[in-house]
Amino acid sequence: MARLLKFNIFRYNPQNPESVPHMDEFVLEETDSMTLFIALNRIREEKDSSLQFDFCCRAGICGSCGMVINGRPGLACHTKTKDLPSEITLLPLPVFQLVGDLSVDTGSWFREMYNKVESWIHTNKEFDPAAEEERMENEVAEAIYELDRCVECGCCVSACGTARLRDDFLGAVSLNRVARFVIDPRDERTDKEYYEIIGNDEGIFGCMGLLACEDVCPKHLPLQEQLAFLRRKMGITAIKNLFSRKSCK
Amino acid sequence: MQTFYTDVLVIGAGLAGERAAIEAGQAGFSTICLSLVPARRSHSSAAQGGMQAALGNSAMGEGDCPDVHFEDTVKGSDWGCDQEVARLFADAAPIEMRRLAHWGVPWNRVVPGRSKYFKGGKEFEKVEKDENRGLITARAFGGTAKWRTCYVSDGTGHSVLFTVDNRCAQLGVEVHDKTEAIALIHDGDTCYGAVVRCLKTGELRVYLAKATMIATGGFGRIYPNTTNAVVCDGGGHVAALNTGVVPMGNMEAVQFHPTGIVPTDILVTEGCRGDGGTLLDVNEERFMHIYEPEKAELASRDVVSRWMTHHIREGKGVKSPYGDHLWLDIRHLGEKHITGKLREVYEICTGFLGINPIYQLIPVRPTQHYSMGGVRTNKDGAAYGLKGLFSAGEAACWDMHGFNRLGGNSLAETVVAGGIVGRKIVEYVRGAEVSFNSVVIDDAVARERSRINGLISGTHGRENVYKVRAAMQDSLNRGANIFRNDADLTACVQELQEVLHRARRVGLASDGLGANPELSAALKIEGQVKMALMVAYGALQRTESRGSHNREDYTARNDRDWLKRTLAYWRSEGDELPTLEYEPATTVFEIPPGYRGYGKMDIIPMDGQEAGAADQSGAKTGQADQDDTDPAEAKGDE
Amino acid sequence: MTVETSILAGRPSKWDGILDVCQMLSGIGLILFMWAHMILVASVLFGPGVMNAIAEFFESTGMAQVGGPLIFLLFLFHFLLAARKLPFRFEGMKIIFSHAKMMRHRDTWLWVVQAVSAMIILIMGSIHMWVVLTDLPITAAKSAARIQGGFWTGFYLLLLPMVELHVGVGLYRIGVKWGLVKTDGRAGLHRGERILTLIFICIGLATLIRFWFINTLA
Ligand SMILES: Cc1cc2nc3c(=O)[nH]c(=O)nc-3n(C[C@H](O)[C@H](O)[C@H](O)COP(=O)(O)OP(=O)(O)OC[C@H]3O[C@@H](n4cnc5c(N)ncnc54)[C@H](O)[C@@H]3O)c2cc1C
Ligand code: HEM
Ligand code: HEM
Ligand code: SF4
Ligand code: F3S
Ligand code: FES
Repeated sequence: MARLLKFNIFRYNPQNPESVPHMDEFVLEETDSMTLFIALNRIREEKDSSLQFDFCCRAGICGSCGMVINGRPGLACHTKTKDLPSEITLLPLPVFQLVGDLSVDTGSWFREMYNKVESWIHTNKEFDPAAEEERMENEVAEAIYELDRCVECGCCVSACGTARLRDDFLGAVSLNRVARFVIDPRDERTDKEYYEIIGNDEGIFGCMGLLACEDVCPKHLPLQEQLAFLRRKMGITAIKNLFSRKSCK
Repeated sequence: MQTFYTDVLVIGAGLAGERAAIEAGQAGFSTICLSLVPARRSHSSAAQGGMQAALGNSAMGEGDCPDVHFEDTVKGSDWGCDQEVARLFADAAPIEMRRLAHWGVPWNRVVPGRSKYFKGGKEFEKVEKDENRGLITARAFGGTAKWRTCYVSDGTGHSVLFTVDNRCAQLGVEVHDKTEAIALIHDGDTCYGAVVRCLKTGELRVYLAKATMIATGGFGRIYPNTTNAVVCDGGGHVAALNTGVVPMGNMEAVQFHPTGIVPTDILVTEGCRGDGGTLLDVNEERFMHIYEPEKAELASRDVVSRWMTHHIREGKGVKSPYGDHLWLDIRHLGEKHITGKLREVYEICTGFLGINPIYQLIPVRPTQHYSMGGVRTNKDGAAYGLKGLFSAGEAACWDMHGFNRLGGNSLAETVVAGGIVGRKIVEYVRGAEVSFNSVVIDDAVARERSRINGLISGTHGRENVYKVRAAMQDSLNRGANIFRNDADLTACVQELQEVLHRARRVGLASDGLGANPELSAALKIEGQVKMALMVAYGALQRTESRGSHNREDYTARNDRDWLKRTLAYWRSEGDELPTLEYEPATTVFEIPPGYRGYGKMDIIPMDGQEAGAADQSGAKTGQADQDDTDPAEAKGDE
Repeated sequence: MTVETSILAGRPSKWDGILDVCQMLSGIGLILFMWAHMILVASVLFGPGVMNAIAEFFESTGMAQVGGPLIFLLFLFHFLLAARKLPFRFEGMKIIFSHAKMMRHRDTWLWVVQAVSAMIILIMGSIHMWVVLTDLPITAAKSAARIQGGFWTGFYLLLLPMVELHVGVGLYRIGVKWGLVKTDGRAGLHRGERILTLIFICIGLATLIRFWFINTLA
């Protein structure tokens, strides 16, 4: 009764001089509540123990398991085979450096991103252990968290045509990160300072509004709204800059 | 081969590791964190519930203070914790939460006014004060006298980890992700760093440091069913125990949870039962009322787990390709309730199981959840046995959890301990004169290299690593689970010893080139089996019940003989069993052992203590009701 | 990966924001023009006299003589701005095509449609403008003569849908890029854009048909 699932999986081990990129086929019998996490582990344990892929939380929380599933970037651990046709094609996420098979190096990409957008609170205030915390409205906190929910899976970057065309494009995830700090009252950066970071074609003005980012984001972040918010804000800043002589560096 | 020199090497970039790294970074020391996965994917990110700190800002937390938190923690630990450490923790936790707020954590805040809350499926009302508007708020969690769990919506661990990692990036703390520490470099006296395998290329590297810290999280993956991430495989513990001189504390203290979903063991809240959910067996019949006529499904966590396990063993489990399980039935609660109050459960079921709990049954089974035991350290976080080696977080047995950790206390521990231990590391590095002995380093590298070559070429055999691992997990699952007894534990130890022999004969089926995953598994399997033996053997020797350690044949908590901590050593590589030593659970008693206020009351008092101390609890007789949470008020089971 | 990013290379990034705003404004300008243009040309549906009258109005006020070239400049300006985003190397085109194919994602395909239609418009639009503007004044009869010649029918039958597609997608894109709609408004905007495109193509076709039945000797 159970379906036979045919997996076409991208294979390439850059560390093996004899390895060439190719697709391997594996067949598994489908079981109840099977996810790609279960399927891939079974393939590794039963059929080919060298198969590389990344999982960590297997609960859709950590963002480790981004891969291209039948053409679309998504999280493998919360993809149920039941929702897929019996032929399943798995590719590693593009844009990121390939480690092997389905595993890519998102870590280096994101570390660079943190430094580019200075992904931390900029403040001159010192922490005082004896003082009460600074107050914040709960709605503000929730709005920040809404953007903080990103799990850095990289799906939005891999799905973005702009990012694939130009590797210096920051991608929706980084821009969303900036938006997170823009709305955080603790961050003292001004619009002009943000403009220095994202007010260019590597940043917000590089985005062509393809919206694949929004459509694949497994956490359903409001990326389109955030990108638009930044575009308006930075657009206005650009015009202001133009008219205020002082700002011309 | 690449060699990295750094002042501080932190193995593990979860909350504990990064929090400590920040202290080192702030003090101006070069710091490198290693991690199997990019830092933010560490398991800390999976903790959704929250972290405890006695800020006392919310209405239901009014009057809370570190003293009350301390008391809850000690009681939770079933007096197994080090009270000095628990005190350090409770006092520092509020400051640490505020510090996190300063760094950018979007804590939920107090909203003044009336609001409703649920307890045991019933609705109550509370009023938040206007003067507390905008302060960090708290929610309820199991086992606590007050609401003191600070939270960020449903992503506390995630948000805090992102913030802490941001801070690391700001300070220039390096994180080398996709790296795996496979051995410590030491001379039996001092630790000099680690031999590390790069998980991008498979190459070996050497990291030399004045101070090394193990913050590798829990080791749930030595069990077959666990809520832990797949990277929580005890790799850091293996490196430590392989030194032969660093002991593991209280390895038998393992926490379980009654309702993990099958197959992937993601946790669903006990609140399901609190709200009227029932458990069904293979015939889709209820069974809890047979065992617990009064409370049925509403009996406490451990009691329910016990009968679930029992019922499955009676052959009443539902067979599945993933092992036997039972059903959780919440269909009768109705769509509104399920998609409203139990939304999380609904989302997990539809998202990961493809099951709609409004119409379908949810497959569940008891599952491993938290490791109280780990690398034994003193209150400064310095590991026993080696100078220059530290540990914190779930990996460590710093020992504020004793035999049962409270929900929300572990995440708080990571940052509090990370901060405290981080500062101690800074002190240590300031005073440290370290010269690296190249013979020691070369030896360590040569040993790992030959181990790798041996595995690839099958020098010792061709046992399949995945099969050996499954055998270990299965054995531990049967013998050292929620309920333990002499016969099962004895059998388990014997089986594990056989598995140990097999583990020593593992060889690869694949070529082992590059970041080969089979090689990663093979490199640590022997160490994992040794850990499993520490758990099982420690549990066998401990002839009492305390916290999560439930002996069916010794149901009393025995403060006379067992108010002590197990220290398990693997003295020599070829040993067949760990060497166990014991030390007093605590040297300071702020609160003498007594009744926890809930659960079991069967206590053998320690010498010089009146038997009556335990008797006050007499009102509540009955079951080995060891639990920190009643499902009726459960929320804080994470 | 090599990338052809810009023909305006070397500019300080301070200008990127201005350029993006200009791109949007030039797009809107062109859309407004195309609508005005539509009124002029489609007015023939009400009779050649109406069209002639409108054309005459434009010419007598000098708007055709001055406005025409200005539109041509706007057209070029828009092209230059948009070209920053277009892959001119084969490599880039291959990437974006295979990407769109892999993803089977509507908005990504729409961009491809926009880019391809843009190149066609660039060439055909230029020719068209040259032909019309060097042969002033505009009269319904002249236009009809051109169209009845046959070649121009085919020409417009290609240019017309290209322009309308480009305009439709362009409008949609401005909406989402600048946040005139939010996530939940996207589907609606899509529908609106498709209906608009269809209506305009229909009017255009009707106009072309009408031109066929105008007596060029009148
Ligand atoms: C499902 C779930 C929910 C939970 N919810 C809560 C909650 O609500 N509240 C609460 O207080 N607690 C909760 N906990 C417990 C809590 O999350 C953990 O105890 C805590 O996050 C552990 O943090 P850590 O920093 O010690 O380790 P981790 O965050 O697990 O980090 C370990 C790090 O070590 C690295 N590492 C491991 N091995 C190696 C190696 N060999 N070499 C190099 N690096 C290595 C990993 O890559 C990782 O970076 C929950 C646990 C689970 C499983
Ligand atoms: C009558 C003619 C034209 C009209 C009405 C028009 C209109 C528009 C509009 C409204 C946009 C959206 C602007 C934005 O996203 O900011 C746009 C985008 C674009 N146009 Fe045009 N355009 C015309 C001609 C051209 C020509 C000749 C080209 C040249 C090659 C061109 C290339 C592009 C490209 C590539 C984009 C996409 C830019 C991006 O996604 O960022 N267009 N156009
Ligand atoms: C100032 C510039 C322009 C003038 C004066 C102008 C004028 C005209 C005229 C007179 C016609 C009728 C047919 C003919 O005479 O051949 C026409 C048709 C057309 N023009 Fe233009 N045009 C201009 C610019 C453009 C541009 C920039 C485009 C698009 C890129 C364009 C697209 C079309 C199309 C598609 C038709 C066919 C109309 C239809 O079928 O309804 N024109 N134009
Ligand atoms: S924004 Fe969404 S798709 Fe992009 S990295 Fe974050 S979670 Fe993934
Ligand atoms: S897909 Fe790319 S182009 Fe912009 S809208 Fe998303 S970042
Ligand atoms: S494994 Fe963590 S999101 Fe899939």
